[in-house]
Amino acid sequence: MSELSEEEREKIIKSSPVGTWALMLIVGAGMVAAWLFLYYGVFLPRGAID
Amino acid sequence: MHIDPLEKKWAYVALAMVGLFVGIISIDALFHGINAPSNVETIDPASLHLSGEFAEDNLGVQVDDSGNVIVRVVAGRYGFYPKQITVPAGTPLTFRWSSMDVIHGIHLPMTNMSTMILPGYIAQLKTTFPKPGTYPLLCNEYCGMGHDHMWGSVTVVAKEHWTAPIKTASKKEGGSHE
Repeated sequence: MSELSEEEREKIIKSSPVGTWALMLIVGAGMVAAWLFLYYGVFLPRGAID
Repeated sequence: MHIDPLEKKWAYVALAMVGLFVGIISIDALFHGINAPSNVETIDPASLHLSGEFAEDNLGVQVDDSGNVIVRVVAGRYGFYPKQITVPAGTPLTFRWSSMDVIHGIHLPMTNMSTMILPGYIAQLKTTFPKPGTYPLLCNEYCGMGHDHMWGSVTVVAKEHWTAPIKTASKKEGGSHE
């Protein structure tokens, strides 16, 4: 476990959470892409049911 | 109530995704006519085989006077009647199912065809099979000891290789709309 100074710790806490943004983007884009693939790539080409 | 700003942003992302998906489905439902099947027609399961559209001679694939391809199948423990049907690919099909005894279900893997067949009702689905092939037709509602032997098959052939049945069904439909 790394030892952070109080100054470094404060800087990290106050900085923008880049990792969280990246995770949010990856998860969101992944879920949207998966849904669009299932809807347009699998469901509709099989013939919609009415 | 305090909500952490980051947590709020996650919630906005989730809400935006739900909004996008619901929006796409709503546009397809409203403008492209893609809706969940809904059809309420009743029929007497004890006498459906005696006359009307589900009499033996009317089962299977037929082309009505307007040129629509209609498939009528009766489900009963433990089989589908007829057991094998052949339909054209890329053609709008109307499937009409009815049960002569208990609740059955149908499922055609690798297609979107799936519904319950309730005795006393006619289950109607409209669809198009884009790809030729042979699809198993399975009962997907437990209907008794022979449930796992209840199956049939649907053969989808290219439109140019499909021959319409000679007999056409112009008889009055057996069900009654409600």
